Amino acid sequence: MTFLRLDNIRKNYGDTPVIKGVSFAATKGEFVVFVGPSGCGKSTLLRMIAGLEDVSSGELYIDDRDVTYEEPAKREVSMVFQSYALYPHMSVFENMAFGLRMAKKPEAEIKAQVTEAARILQLEALLDRKPRALSGGQRQRVAIGRSIVRHPKLFLFDEPLSNLDAELRSQMRVEIAKLHRSLGATMVYVTHDQVEAMTLADRIVVLRAGLVEQIGSPTELYDNPANTFVAGFIGSPKMNFVNAKVASAAGDSLLLEHPTFAGGKLTVKTPSAARVKTGETVIVGLRPEHLSVNAATPVLSLTLDFAESLGGSTQLYARSEGEPIIALTAGRPDLKPGDVLNLGIDPRHIYLFDAAGLAL
Amino acid sequence: MSDTTTRAAPAKPNRGYGRWTPAWFLAPAVLTLLLIGIYPTLFALVTSFRRYNITRPRDGFPFIGFENYVNVLTDSTFWSSLLLTAKFYVTVLPIQVVLGLVVALLLHKPGMGMLKSLARVTLVVPLATTYAVVGLIGRLIFNRDFGVANQFLGFVGFGPIDWLSTPNGAFAAIVIMDVWQWTPFCALIFLAGLSMVPGEIEEAARLETSSKLALLRHVQLPYLLPGLTAVMILRSADVLKLFDMVFVMTRGGPGSATDLISIYIQRVGFRIFDLGTASAQAILLLILTIIISRLYIRLLYREVH
Repeated sequence: MTFLRLDNIRKNYGDTPVIKGVSFAATKGEFVVFVGPSGCGKSTLLRMIAGLEDVSSGELYIDDRDVTYEEPAKREVSMVFQSYALYPHMSVFENMAFGLRMAKKPEAEIKAQVTEAARILQLEALLDRKPRALSGGQRQRVAIGRSIVRHPKLFLFDEPLSNLDAELRSQMRVEIAKLHRSLGATMVYVTHDQVEAMTLADRIVVLRAGLVEQIGSPTELYDNPANTFVAGFIGSPKMNFVNAKVASAAGDSLLLEHPTFAGGKLTVKTPSAARVKTGETVIVGLRPEHLSVNAATPVLSLTLDFAESLGGSTQLYARSEGEPIIALTAGRPDLKPGDVLNLGIDPRHIYLFDAAGLAL
Repeated sequence: MSDTTTRAAPAKPNRGYGRWTPAWFLAPAVLTLLLIGIYPTLFALVTSFRRYNITRPRDGFPFIGFENYVNVLTDSTFWSSLLLTAKFYVTVLPIQVVLGLVVALLLHKPGMGMLKSLARVTLVVPLATTYAVVGLIGRLIFNRDFGVANQFLGFVGFGPIDWLSTPNGAFAAIVIMDVWQWTPFCALIFLAGLSMVPGEIEEAARLETSSKLALLRHVQLPYLLPGLTAVMILRSADVLKLFDMVFVMTRGGPGSATDLISIYIQRVGFRIFDLGTASAQAILLLILTIIISRLYIRLLYREVH
C-alpha cells in the first residue's frame, strides 16, 4: 500500500530548474534512500517532503493525504538534520519534549514518551545536559530521539551521519537500521555515501541533476544498473569502464575490440546483441571485485602500475588508456609494479552499455 | 651541523616595531578619551563636593562635603524631573522594543530582497540624524498650523491639536520623535539577533510547531536576549541624558511637562550657574545609569552557545 507518493514534483529557483519532475512511491514501513552526487537535488527533494521548501509543481501525498501545500508542522513528519539542529538553550529532555509540548500533550505523557525514547537511545544519563556538553554521536542520538517521541508518520534524515567520524558513522548506521526495524516506520534518508545507501535501504532512488536515474533495491541497482551513471555510483571501488568497438555482431554474441583486452579482442554473449551494429561503440563495465588475478583465460592483459594493500585485500591499479583499471583481490598477491596482470572475469559479471551509457 | 655555521645572523626584528609601538597606536584614542571623557567626569566629581556658583566668584569655591548631594536629594523638582524621565522611559522603550521587533521580523522573512535591502538602509537614516535636527523636524511636524501631524489628523476628521503648547501634547510629541529615532536601532539589533539563529534550528522548530509566536518565544528569543540587553542599557543611558531633541522642541515646557532630568540639570548648571549642585545631580545620574545597566546585564543577558 502506497504511503508516500511524489507525483511529478518539480522545483525551480527563479528560472533554474532544480528538481525536474520526480515521481515515486513508497510503501508503509519502507526505508527509502535518496542518493546522488552533491547538487543532484536529493536534499531539496527531502526538504520539499518536509515542507521546508515550496513545491513549484506536482503533488505530494503522505498517508493518502495531499500535503503539497500543507504547513511543515501539520504534515506529521520529523527530520534529523546534518547539523543535528538541537535547540542550544534547552536540555536534552526539553529538546525531545519540545514537539510534544507544542502539541499540548499532557505532561505525564510527555515524560513517559521522552523517557522511553531516552531508554531506546541510551540517553537516560544525559537528560539534564545542554547540547553543547554532548559529543557528536550523543547529539545525533538526541536529534533522533526528538524525532521518534512524536511518533511521526514519516521520518526524514538529511545526511545525518556526515558530521561523524568513520567509526561512529558505521555504529550509528547499524543503530538507525535497528531503529527502523523496531519502529517499523517509513523513513526517507538522504546521503551521498553509497555504502550508507546500500546497507540501509529497502529501496534506493538514484538522483542526478534533478532527475531520477533509477529506483530499485540495493542488489537490483548493483546487478542491473540502468546506465553507466548508476553503475559507477553504486559499488566501491567504482566500476571500470572500457569503451570498446564492435568488430562484429553475430546472433547473441558480440566481438569487441580494445587494446586493453587480452589479444585486443573480447567476445561477449548478450541477448540484446542485435541492438548494436558493427563499428559502434559499446561500453564494457567490469566491477573491480569481480576481476580475478592470474586467470587461466584472461580477459584483460595489463601492466600493474601500483598496488595498495588494505590488509585483508589488495587494490591493484593497472595501466590502460584513459582511467586506470582497478581490480580488488583478496589476500596479498605477489606482484610488483611493472608485472603483467592477467585479469579474468566470470562472463556473467560483464556489464554492457550502449554509446549513450544505457544498459544493453 | 655545517649549515648552521654558514647561515646568516638571525634577522633583526622589524625595524620601527618595538615594545612601545602598540602604545603609539593607542595613544591618540586614550588621550582623547582622557581629555573629553575622564577629565570632565573627574572634574564634575570634584566640583560636586564644592560650592561652585560662577555668578558669585568672590565667594570662592570651597569644599562643602555632601551638602550639594543633600540639597539635590531633598529637592522636589529634581525628583519630579526624574519621575518624568522614568515615565518617558517606560513609555518609549516598550514601544521601541515591540515595534523594532515587528520590523525586524518582517525584514527577516524571506522574499522581496531588493525592497528589504532598501528598507535596511533607510533604517539607518534616523540613527544618523543629530538629536537637535530631530528636534527641529519635530517642531515642524507638530506645528499647530502647518505641521504634517495635524494635517494627517485632519484627514481622519480630528481638529487641529496644539501639540507643543499643551502638556500632554508636548509629552506625546517628544515620545513620538524618540520612537521615530530609536525604533530603527532596535530593529537593526533584533535583525542581527534573528540572523544568528541557525537556519536548521529554525526549520527543526517549524516541523514541530506551526505557531509563529511559539517559534519566536522558544527558539528565536534566546538569540535576541544579548541584543535586547544592549538595547536596554544603551537606551537607559541615552534617555537619562536625553537633552538636545527635547530642548530644541519644547525647552522642557510647557510648564514642566517635558522637563526631563537632563534639561533640569542643564538649567541648574547654565541658567542658575550653580555648577556644584548640577555636578552632584549629574554624578547621581551616572550612578543610576550604572546600577540600571548592571541590573539588565544580570537579569537579561544570556549567551546562546
